[in-house]
Amino acid sequence: MTSRWRDLGLAGLGLVLLLLVPVFGAPPAIRDFIMFGMAYGLLAMSLNLLIGYTGLVSFGHAMFFAAGAYAFGLAMQSGKFSIPGAFVLAIGFTALMALIIGAICVRLNEIYFAFLTLAFQMLFYNIILGWVSFTGGDQGLMGGIPRPKFLGIDLADRTQLYVFCSVAFVACIAVLRQIVTSPFGYTLRMIRDNQERAAFLGINVTMVKLACFVMSACVAAVGGILLTLFVSGAYPNFGFWTTSGEAIFMILLGGSNVFLGPLVGTVILRLLNDITVTYTSHTELVLGIVILVLVLGLRKGPLDLLAERWENRRQAKAQAVRDAADKDAQTGRDA
Amino acid sequence: MDLDALLRCVGMTSCVVTQLTSGMIIGMLLFLIASGVTLIFGVLNVINFAHGSLYMIGAYAAWTFYQLTGSYFVSALGAAVAVGVLGVLFERVLMSKVYGSNVLMQLLVCYAVVLISDDLIKIIWGPVPLSMGMPPEFRLPPVRFMGGVIPPFYIFMILAAMAIGLLLWLVIGRTRFGSIVRAAAINGPMVSALGIRVNLYYAAVFGIGSALAGAAGALAAPVRSLTPGMGFSILIESFIVTVIGGMGSIVGAFAASIIIGLTRSFGSIGFPLFVDGVMFLIMALVLIFKPSGLFGRAHR
Amino acid sequence: MLKLENLKKSFGGVSATRDVTLDFADGSLSAIIGPNGAGKTTLFNLITGRFPPDTGRILLAGENIAGLSQRRIVRLGIGRAFQVASLFPTLTVAEALAAAAQAHQRRETLLRSPFPLPATMAQGDEIMELLGLTRVAGILSRNLSHGDQKLLDIGLALALEPRVLLLDEPTAGMGPEERWRMIETVQRLWRARRMTLIFIEHDMDIVFKVAQTVRVLSYGSVLAEGTPDEVRTNPKVIEAYLGKSAHGTSGQGAAV
Repeated sequence: MTSRWRDLGLAGLGLVLLLLVPVFGAPPAIRDFIMFGMAYGLLAMSLNLLIGYTGLVSFGHAMFFAAGAYAFGLAMQSGKFSIPGAFVLAIGFTALMALIIGAICVRLNEIYFAFLTLAFQMLFYNIILGWVSFTGGDQGLMGGIPRPKFLGIDLADRTQLYVFCSVAFVACIAVLRQIVTSPFGYTLRMIRDNQERAAFLGINVTMVKLACFVMSACVAAVGGILLTLFVSGAYPNFGFWTTSGEAIFMILLGGSNVFLGPLVGTVILRLLNDITVTYTSHTELVLGIVILVLVLGLRKGPLDLLAERWENRRQAKAQAVRDAADKDAQTGRDA
Repeated sequence: MDLDALLRCVGMTSCVVTQLTSGMIIGMLLFLIASGVTLIFGVLNVINFAHGSLYMIGAYAAWTFYQLTGSYFVSALGAAVAVGVLGVLFERVLMSKVYGSNVLMQLLVCYAVVLISDDLIKIIWGPVPLSMGMPPEFRLPPVRFMGGVIPPFYIFMILAAMAIGLLLWLVIGRTRFGSIVRAAAINGPMVSALGIRVNLYYAAVFGIGSALAGAAGALAAPVRSLTPGMGFSILIESFIVTVIGGMGSIVGAFAASIIIGLTRSFGSIGFPLFVDGVMFLIMALVLIFKPSGLFGRAHR
Repeated sequence: MLKLENLKKSFGGVSATRDVTLDFADGSLSAIIGPNGAGKTTLFNLITGRFPPDTGRILLAGENIAGLSQRRIVRLGIGRAFQVASLFPTLTVAEALAAAAQAHQRRETLLRSPFPLPATMAQGDEIMELLGLTRVAGILSRNLSHGDQKLLDIGLALALEPRVLLLDEPTAGMGPEERWRMIETVQRLWRARRMTLIFIEHDMDIVFKVAQTVRVLSYGSVLAEGTPDEVRTNPKVIEAYLGKSAHGTSGQGAAV
């Protein structure tokens, strides 16, 4: 069913490919695009752990993205932490936040869950906006992010920053892959498919959902940290409802049933954004229309459609096996 | 946190009157929007995340009609009707396609509509905040009550909203139309099997819910500034109201809107930074102890 | 093994279970029959803890499990298959059984190793073998034929290695030949696992051929119990099924 070695190999290959980009002298625009893609990609991939694998549609996931960003930014600006220290602190803070919010939300049914996560996100957003003295309000964290060297790595250097982010990104993807291919990952699928039956197998559905919620929040936080390092600041819109909406759209666009689907969706969406911006300032209008066409027309992400076709072929083979066995059994009975 | 200011205010009747009224108008606006949300959810089992946009369109429509006709009442009525029609269109063309689908699809359709309407408003009316100003019909001296000062328009708003609420409650509870709607909420296919064109009723319900939002927008226009983002913040609050009051309950929406409205107005004196926090706290408590809301039907 | 004492349950004003007392011996194979609406599924729901009884006790190996959570009751050894198969549509048969086995082995939250764990796959394969599902191992649960779905449903319950297995109409929706194959499978797994097996059934031929004891429910109370022969000749039972003008045994569709 899964091959850990193959996955690790692919991850390594991906990392190598990413690292080759600056080596081959790609223009900064490409590197910037990739950096944005990595940060938002982690947001979308982590959200899909909830939506695609567990069936928990959270519409407020961006709050963890923003929490990681702001916690990291504030920690570095305080001057009391090294980069690795602030990294860990930011993730820890987000995990705690997810634990509390998750404990309240995870038990609720689909609709209430979607909306309550949205509400909590907006609360967080309002706190960021309102606590001007601490967070800079609508201006965001100003004054840049200090980057003291650690372990000989200097993140003020763009290339080293790129390498650092690439490694962090691939590591997170590998972690998500590990989760998804583990027994825990299949428990998530069971909950998504038939929560009642899962409970009937003795699974503690609430605890599993909560664990998943916290884990996905942590990965989203890493995405936020990467973005903060990249843009040298943290801004309230990291945690605005449109960011959550875009993450969901990235998942739809790429496909929620394929592991890397959300990442593909991130790339497609960012391309779409960048292209639209060159022609018109009405990106929202275009995005809205595209969403409608996709939701009402295709009803599934393109990767999902491809995955479906591939799965249908596998099923056809398995069905051939069954039909052969049944025929044998039938002739056995007739004899 | 400035609890002293709050205590001082509570001690003065003038302040109490002012805050009560302002709390009531916030509450009544929320009530109109929340009752639309709760009606649509109760009957169609769909959360209309685009409801805030309908409110916004109502406000802008009222502003435009007012520029054209100079009469506030005509503008307000026109806006409510226009948004109602828009709501029916939205339902027939878009929402009805995702009734059976999971929340994700419904969310995305509404999200798309919000994006599109936000941008269209920016294109047609411009991103600069507009203001309608107080219509001449209401440029009357403020009413003095127990030492407090109440602008006459506020009284109109409160009475209008209550009247609309009462009308809604009567229509749903006491008319044939209302009983069909209530039956469709419980078992749509069954109503259809009785030979009634359920889809028409679904569209009508969506239209009524939208018209309520449009009316709220029209009522808000003289006293709020019109910006393309005005829909969203009130949407979240209306959801909080709906959850606290109970999904599907108009009475619940009424009670909860008053609670939230008063929390906002008194809270802005006593704990301005935490008003949102208190609202969420109330909602969280309700969800923990009575998940179906104060007046809601308990689902399994 | 399983004792029901004075169980009562009402919903609103409707009395679904009226003072039911039944005793199921360890390792027995019994059938519960009765007209539709007699409260058979409600009884299963009470035993598995879907809702607590209003009064009465449910003793599993001497311990009262009435009022415990469904999860606890499942872990204490009561397994159940459903009238309408309750499956995991996107998992293949092999995956679903391995996943159920891993839940039973309490390793469903492991993060370190890949799925499926060898021990859970082994248990899953064994169940597939027992139920004749090996030929459909790679097929997605949602693509299975009706009969195979019912078998998988039983398989998911078996994965918990229950002491008591409840089967709710295992042959529902099947043609005559398929029914007998299903009930043979049920017999086979009963002999292999030596569990206390209780099944709800409407096909009288099957019931009388296969069950050791038969309990008849009607309107929420126990109408009769005993060996198949005793029950089939019991006048009250005949009346409940066929009305006063009774003629011998019934075929399919006798339960009205």
